[in-house]
Amino acid sequence: MVVSVLNTLDPQSRAAARGWSDLTIRNIFIIPTVLFLIVFNIFPLIYSLGYSFTDFAANRNVPWSFVGLQNYRDLLADQRIWTNFVITAKYVIVSVGGQMIIGFGIALLLNRDFPFKGVVTTLLLLPMMLSAAVVGLFWQLLYSPSWGPINYILGLRNFGLLSDADTALYAVAITDIWMWSPFVMLLSLAGLSAVPKHLYEAAAIDRASSWYTFTRITLPLVAPILMIALIFRTMEAFKTFDLAYVLSVQPTTELIAIKLYRLAFQQWDTGRSSALAYIVLIMVLAITNIYVKYLNKVKER
Amino acid sequence: MTQIELRGVQKFFGAVQVIKDLNLKISDNEFIVLLGQSGCGKTTTLRAIAGLETIDEGDILIDGKQVQHLKAADRDIAMVFQSFSLYPHMSVYENIAFPLRAMRKSKSEIDQEVRSVAKTLQISDLLAKKPSALSGGDMQRVAIGRALVRRPKAMLMDEPIGALDAKLREEMRAEIKRLHIKQGSTTIYVTHDQIEAMSLADRIVIMHEGVLQQVGTPDEVYSRPANLFVAQFVGSPVMNVADAAVAEKASVASVIVGDAPTGFEFPRTLLSKLNGHASGSLALGIRPEGVLIRRDAADGFMAVETQIVEPLGSFDIVDLKVGSNMLRARTKSGFVAGPGEKVFARIDPTQAHFFDKASGKSLEVRL
Repeated sequence: MVVSVLNTLDPQSRAAARGWSDLTIRNIFIIPTVLFLIVFNIFPLIYSLGYSFTDFAANRNVPWSFVGLQNYRDLLADQRIWTNFVITAKYVIVSVGGQMIIGFGIALLLNRDFPFKGVVTTLLLLPMMLSAAVVGLFWQLLYSPSWGPINYILGLRNFGLLSDADTALYAVAITDIWMWSPFVMLLSLAGLSAVPKHLYEAAAIDRASSWYTFTRITLPLVAPILMIALIFRTMEAFKTFDLAYVLSVQPTTELIAIKLYRLAFQQWDTGRSSALAYIVLIMVLAITNIYVKYLNKVKER
Repeated sequence: MTQIELRGVQKFFGAVQVIKDLNLKISDNEFIVLLGQSGCGKTTTLRAIAGLETIDEGDILIDGKQVQHLKAADRDIAMVFQSFSLYPHMSVYENIAFPLRAMRKSKSEIDQEVRSVAKTLQISDLLAKKPSALSGGDMQRVAIGRALVRRPKAMLMDEPIGALDAKLREEMRAEIKRLHIKQGSTTIYVTHDQIEAMSLADRIVIMHEGVLQQVGTPDEVYSRPANLFVAQFVGSPVMNVADAAVAEKASVASVIVGDAPTGFEFPRTLLSKLNGHASGSLALGIRPEGVLIRRDAADGFMAVETQIVEPLGSFDIVDLKVGSNMLRARTKSGFVAGPGEKVFARIDPTQAHFFDKASGKSLEVRL
């Protein structure tokens, strides 16, 4: 059995017998992927850009007309859209900030030898592997004002963290922190273990305090990988939809992605929602660009 | 101004004992070299003194104070690592300034110290560069600079030039020696290279399998090795060691090497000095320069055949067949043309060493 598998893998037999060159084999692997990307990613991307300049509505069979930049103008002038952006910004700062601090903190704790380190690390990674919808449903139960353990522990009685307009966004952010801190932890752990041990020894010999060693040796050397975690998490948090959608119906938790969803699939304002999607895309690109510039600077040092 | 003392130091890694009852006293301004093969415990000893490694038993004293329970930072000792351990994200200047900044010295003071150290080490023009842009020798200079800058109680060096190529190693060796003479601080230097040890040390400490073998000046260690290990580890080319038997022959003592038909002539006093160790458990050690050879027969010389010749430039090493043993002799270059020549050899009794084969210990016979 094994021998026959090896035989089919042998370049002397099949591929060669069919007259395939390395180039042919490479193309066989690449072309389907490229086709898939063009059909499902690049074509819709360009097509939706076209929609964003029209008043097209996908659920009505009426002729649409070209409206130029009208959609963009309306959206950017709409106060409610800006409210959504502010909510999103708040959410990104709180949730990504929390994830960075907690994730890096846990990584620092894990970056040493202790029994069952592998098991502990894997268990800590679990939240990240769950589906956001499932996490949302469970945390809804945890936050439940009538019998949720969080209210019980905090002594909040019937105060609904998720149903209060002021706290709902933070409650969602906390859930997101719980879910995604492990991601930051994982990357930080990789960064921390890449710092050579002998540098810490040199610092100890140089009589650096542990705080001085942390700020002058550990942080600068882990900074590039922390930046990458920050970029990923910011991009993801910016387009959060599922978690907030499942957890809360408060208008104060209407993130830009939820607004976009309502615009596109509840109001069926396809043209305008395409325009909004592009505004979001440009914003994410801009933020990412700032980070990447900074990342390159950090790497240069 | 710094004395370091090790008293009965023991260290285990699991079940393996890497340092066995080590006692050593290092006096002020002394340049001590810990010499041994890899895995002999020399680096562990150094790291234990630095505070990077705990010890299981014994005391480490710096200036009479027990420090074995202190952290590395509290021992005020500088160390130069084999891997240099420069901070990769900092410039040369920042690297050298690091120990001073860690102690929150004032900016002007730091600047002055860093520049003066850089000048001593001739790296002033490199201060703005990153370690990754430096050559191996310069990296080592920076690492030494970082160690020197805060004027530590003692300097520890863990094979500091082991990672450099041969030519650079020789340069740096001379530089380290010059620096030590100029700055004068208690230094412990670890190496497996006996030439480095001989050329740098005030005293050499030879270790083998965690056990201290001999402590002494380079000359003592070379000319009076305490045991077979030291005898064969120190000196290049390696000392000849062969089983030997001593017999009384007329008015002289005859030392028969291995199964050779005849023996080398030694003064008669050898017999009394050997004190009963005359045969069976005796090993003769003789450095190549102690094997004298000449072309024509003479009194006391034995006819031998040459085997291979290794020309080493300033001298040749010639293998002589003595019974089934080989005796390596040092000759003027070109003295022996090649294998198969007949020459006459004798052993210089004043350079001969006798060891007890069972214990490996030198019998301290001086002729």
